[in-house]
Amino acid sequence: MNDFHATPSRRAVLLGLGAGLGALALPRWTMAQATGGTLRFGLSTFPPSLNPFDNTGGAANTVKLAIFRGLMGYDGEGNLLPEVAQSVEWESDTVLVFVLRDNAVFHNGDPVTAQDVVFSLGEITKEGSSAYLKADFAIIDGAEAVDDKTVRITLTTPSAVFLNLLANYCSPVISAKSTAQEVIGCGPFRLTGQEKGVYIEVAKFDDFYVEGEPGVDAIRFVAYADENLRYSALEAGDVDLIEYLPWTQFEAVEASDGLNISTTSGPFMFLLFNVAKEGPLQDPRVRQAIGYAIERQDVVDAAFAGRGAPLFGLPNPQGSTIPLSDPAAEYSYDMEKAQALLADAGYPNGFDCRLLATATYGMHQDTASVVQAYLAMIGINATLDLPDWGARVTQGTEGRYDIAVHGTSGTFNDPDALFSLLYSGNPSYLQSFGFKSERIDGLLMQGRAETDPEKRRAIYQELYTAYYEEAPQIPLNWRTQAFGMSAGLSGFRTLPGFLNGSSGFVLDEAKLG
Amino acid sequence: MLFVVGTIIFSLLAIVPGDPAELLLSTGGGSATAEAIANLRATMGLDQPVGVQYVSFLWNSLRFDFGTSIIDGSSIAQNIALRLPRTLEIIAAGTVLSLLTAIPAGTAAGLRAGGRFDIAASAVNALLTSVPGFVVGTLFIYLFAQVLGWLPAGGYVAFAQDPVQHLRVLVLPAVTVGLHLATIVFRMTRASVLEMRGHDWVRTATAKGLPRRLVVRRHVLKNALGPVITVVGMQLGILLGSTVLVEFVYNWPGLSGMLVTAVEQRDYPTVRSIILIVAAIFITINLVIDVLYSVLDPRIRLQ
Repeated sequence: MNDFHATPSRRAVLLGLGAGLGALALPRWTMAQATGGTLRFGLSTFPPSLNPFDNTGGAANTVKLAIFRGLMGYDGEGNLLPEVAQSVEWESDTVLVFVLRDNAVFHNGDPVTAQDVVFSLGEITKEGSSAYLKADFAIIDGAEAVDDKTVRITLTTPSAVFLNLLANYCSPVISAKSTAQEVIGCGPFRLTGQEKGVYIEVAKFDDFYVEGEPGVDAIRFVAYADENLRYSALEAGDVDLIEYLPWTQFEAVEASDGLNISTTSGPFMFLLFNVAKEGPLQDPRVRQAIGYAIERQDVVDAAFAGRGAPLFGLPNPQGSTIPLSDPAAEYSYDMEKAQALLADAGYPNGFDCRLLATATYGMHQDTASVVQAYLAMIGINATLDLPDWGARVTQGTEGRYDIAVHGTSGTFNDPDALFSLLYSGNPSYLQSFGFKSERIDGLLMQGRAETDPEKRRAIYQELYTAYYEEAPQIPLNWRTQAFGMSAGLSGFRTLPGFLNGSSGFVLDEAKLG
Repeated sequence: MLFVVGTIIFSLLAIVPGDPAELLLSTGGGSATAEAIANLRATMGLDQPVGVQYVSFLWNSLRFDFGTSIIDGSSIAQNIALRLPRTLEIIAAGTVLSLLTAIPAGTAAGLRAGGRFDIAASAVNALLTSVPGFVVGTLFIYLFAQVLGWLPAGGYVAFAQDPVQHLRVLVLPAVTVGLHLATIVFRMTRASVLEMRGHDWVRTATAKGLPRRLVVRRHVLKNALGPVITVVGMQLGILLGSTVLVEFVYNWPGLSGMLVTAVEQRDYPTVRSIILIVAAIFITINLVIDVLYSVLDPRIRLQ
């Protein structure tokens, strides 16, 4: 055996540990300087797919808007503007002519041509596509390249919202040379690297068509699934910007000198009903009774830390092109009225039912708990059903529920954005199972085909009333959606109302330091 | 055994409600038309009968062909190859930390059972045992990242890209995994040392004048380590599946996190492949432990 025993003294061990931790702590400062030009963006989830035409969630749409842009777009205030197009003109009610920007080029260096636009639209409308806008773009009668920089699109009927649809994050112009493996866009950034589930890196595209943009050299999108960790990462300086700032942290960010917040009232919560099932919920009076029985401020307080606002009627978005209101077609918190309506419908003592929400999202679960408590007060005994999100969607589609909680947002600030929620021609888990109203379907169709603003207003005012009278859903509340960011970041903010999910449009204006 | 695991997991996934195509197109609460969903299902290959899917799954597994993710078409084998080492890394780092602290501490406590150190260490140990990993993790993040600002709140940096940063992000997850394992190792070592200490060969060794350090090392500790190794081995297998919370809390992109995401997205081939791999590793670890045990303890060798 050797006699050489190095017995470290306690002081030496402590010194060593201290030096080790110190060394680990040091590079933080050197790091901060080295990454001056890279915006680090904490996403709520890793984009499951960057397929340009599919809608695969908010995180994916934000990244897509960094890489891809379409004919139309929005500025930071939510104004609809030509994007890759330089100008747009209605030749007639149904014919649109776009002139493309001279300096718009794809990431492979090719100029953006009218042929690419025709190709992109064709990818959406082709047989077998899973594109988000396929059904909406069925009104395209034809698209032709007049010359290299001019596109003419003919519609089957006039449309008040077609330009909004072209500004959707699922309607980019991609190069006709794109393949399934490599999709070539013309956005402000080009994809430079990614690791599934972890990060996506994009670098500034030097030939972007807007002079002086983008303002940062690169963006590194990192997925933080846990909302509290996402906030911690922002506070610790690991990232410069996060989406879906948790409601409980709004106050901390507002009070902080080093952090800023950008909010909008965009998404909303509502109740859906299975009206295909024989029983009380088939009666609109019962659904209305539920609409009167819930104190909405309690939902806002319990599920959203007070960050939101009660919603009493048709969820017409903030900044809508058509402001709507009608006190006679709005709910209030009125227990007596709720009980009277229930009694009228023949259920004075209430009934038993199943209330579907999901345990995956705390806000859905908390909303359901508050709703359950208020329903109990009018004798409706709701049993909570809280499967994970995947099962929740399937149960919704298959109608395995009585009442369901849901939350969503539209994609542009116009009442037509509610089309997919209310039009019975496209049933989905976002609609009350089995609900069909010719009156509502008819108004929705008229509203999108009418281009005269006054006539549209009258149509949607009627829809506002129908939404209350027929109660296809019960509106609950708006929720405030926020980005949290470091004080050193400027230029980026949330777009207003339903456009909150399109905030990627201002990523090119973001500047650091 | 793997065939059984594979069949069970295939059947379970077939029963679990949720449609990957519908889920993908309704991420975040959006809507999709029935037509778009049907088209995507066809692209994913989910329109085939379950029987056909099962046979092709068995055949591909036999050839170690894990296929591609139905969500984004990426290679599952490549993704696992990327992520498995990271999970193994926090487990390994955590295990080393726990062995380095808990075996000396357990030995010291066992040798002077009832002493001041034993009482203090056992109390701390009881406290740590009862606090779950995600709570420790959350507290660590609050303290070390948000308040003190010494370490990043989470995430991952490849070693090749920035070795120092890699170690910085490794510290908290490794300590969190290590803490829990350490409490088990500590208790096991203490109890085992306590038992060995009373044996007559220890008394004899002490009586013939061997230095105390040598007695402890050769006669007490060596014999006491058998049960400790068994327990560590079993824990390693369990850790493979249970680091998920630690990975989630620290945003560490390991295999567990990949599995959770795949389950959420109903990415069937990915879920099946990860479970098969984890099962294979679990079986291997158990085999290795059995072999190691027989090396340490000649009494249980096969005659």
